[in-house]
Amino acid sequence: MLVDTRAEVIGNLAVQGTTERSTEVDLIRAAQRGDSQAFEQLVRSYDHNVLRMAFNLLHSEEDARDVYQEAFLRVYRNLPKFRFDCAFSTWLYRIVANLCLDQIRKRKVRKEEAVAVQTASGEVDRLQFVAEQRADVDPQRQFMSAEVNSRIRKILDQLTPRERVVFEMRHFQGMRLRSIGAALGVTEEAAKNCLFRATQKMRAALGDFV
Amino acid sequence: MNCHAAQANLSPYLYGELDFASEENIEEHLTGCAFCQRALESEKAWHTALNGERRDVPLDLLARCRQDLRSTLASEVKPAMSAWWKRWLDGIDFSSRRWSWQIAMASFLLFVGFTAARLVDRNGWPGGLDRGGLVTMGVLNPTARIRDIQPYDGGNVRITVEQVRQGEVTGSAADENVRRLLLAATRESADPGIRVYSVEMLNSQGGDDVRDALLNSVLHDPNAAVRLKAIEGLQRFAADSNSRSALRYVLEHDDNPGVRSQAIEILAPRGGGLALTPELAGTLEDVIRSAGSDDYVRTRCLQVLREINAPVDVY
Repeated sequence: MLVDTRAEVIGNLAVQGTTERSTEVDLIRAAQRGDSQAFEQLVRSYDHNVLRMAFNLLHSEEDARDVYQEAFLRVYRNLPKFRFDCAFSTWLYRIVANLCLDQIRKRKVRKEEAVAVQTASGEVDRLQFVAEQRADVDPQRQFMSAEVNSRIRKILDQLTPRERVVFEMRHFQGMRLRSIGAALGVTEEAAKNCLFRATQKMRAALGDFV
Repeated sequence: MNCHAAQANLSPYLYGELDFASEENIEEHLTGCAFCQRALESEKAWHTALNGERRDVPLDLLARCRQDLRSTLASEVKPAMSAWWKRWLDGIDFSSRRWSWQIAMASFLLFVGFTAARLVDRNGWPGGLDRGGLVTMGVLNPTARIRDIQPYDGGNVRITVEQVRQGEVTGSAADENVRRLLLAATRESADPGIRVYSVEMLNSQGGDDVRDALLNSVLHDPNAAVRLKAIEGLQRFAADSNSRSALRYVLEHDDNPGVRSQAIEILAPRGGGLALTPELAGTLEDVIRSAGSDDYVRTRCLQVLREINAPVDVY
């Protein structure tokens, strides 16, 4: 019954989805003509995901903020040249991925990262962000959770910058490999190989632990 | 497919990135191979663990970013699209010797296009391909995925295409469409993060369908974070007999101590007037005696029984 109602709702959405794609094209065209409200709407469709991706890749509010600012500024400045040769999202993620890759390579994040993360209100232990944690009621669980998360962080840090970006885009952003390849300027096959290496490393480190 | 190949493809399989044939092969192999089934469970487990590590962006950071961008853009010169002929002329480098080549090539392409248009059948492409129909159906959409190809009716071909269309529904959780999707997401989404959010949104809603969805999540969701979130929602249905039965079951059988602790807090809220039913007393007694219970859960059960002055033989 639930499946039927869901199919019904999604059926209605199919038409809406097509309309929304054309709405995005309309927004882009309006923004190209200098409509600032259209540009803001365009930004709002993607900015939460963009910021989340940068924040989780760079582990720094400041750096994520810089990537956000720079990415959307580049979009704004180059929007008049956008010719719909690819999806707008592909173009945007290409910019974001390159900015993040540059940051990761520049800072050699692997060596710099510590358990603490820089926030506007000072240094905060990253473990406090971890979901499912009920430290106040169960110390044993807290210990296990911290162990798992510490291992996850370590292995994520051991991935190459490109593996990390591909893994972030596939696992956390839910992007298809084809789009990831397009965003990084590589083939779908290359993106798949990169993801394969990343998941092999994750499995080796976590497979027996979780 | 052998075990090595199957295990190499477990992650792409979970991500839905395998083509139809590979997906069939791996599923066929998994059906008959307990070793690879265990490997798949392990793969799912670390995927889930990773989702737990995920941090969302602080909302104030997003607000600050938007504000910064707005300020920066206000000081930028608005990029307006110039006239098409200006952009075309901009693209041609008149200072270079190649400009004449570029114009020659453009003229040639114009000629080819014009000639091709005249050669094409007015009713469509040669061979009867109904281009308009396919575009209307969205079959040529790049996100479409070909699931099957079969010969059909003497020389024709039947192609089964799977299309993924994205849409967006906005509204409050009380909105009928939003509510239906949230209810469906609690059961059907493969992403535990989405299930957590769905349950969280439903927690403010009443109704039997919401209660049933929460009960289903509490009893059957494989992810502890989702179960915890669903238990929070069941607090509003704490007087309901089905909810109390489910919570008693969780208290005895859930493998996650955090979930069990939360179940006690609802069954026997601190400082709340608790009516000790024989079933609850029995459950608490079983938990106290269970070797699988951790110290906190056991202590809390003892505390509850003491608070209500249960007869000594109960525990």
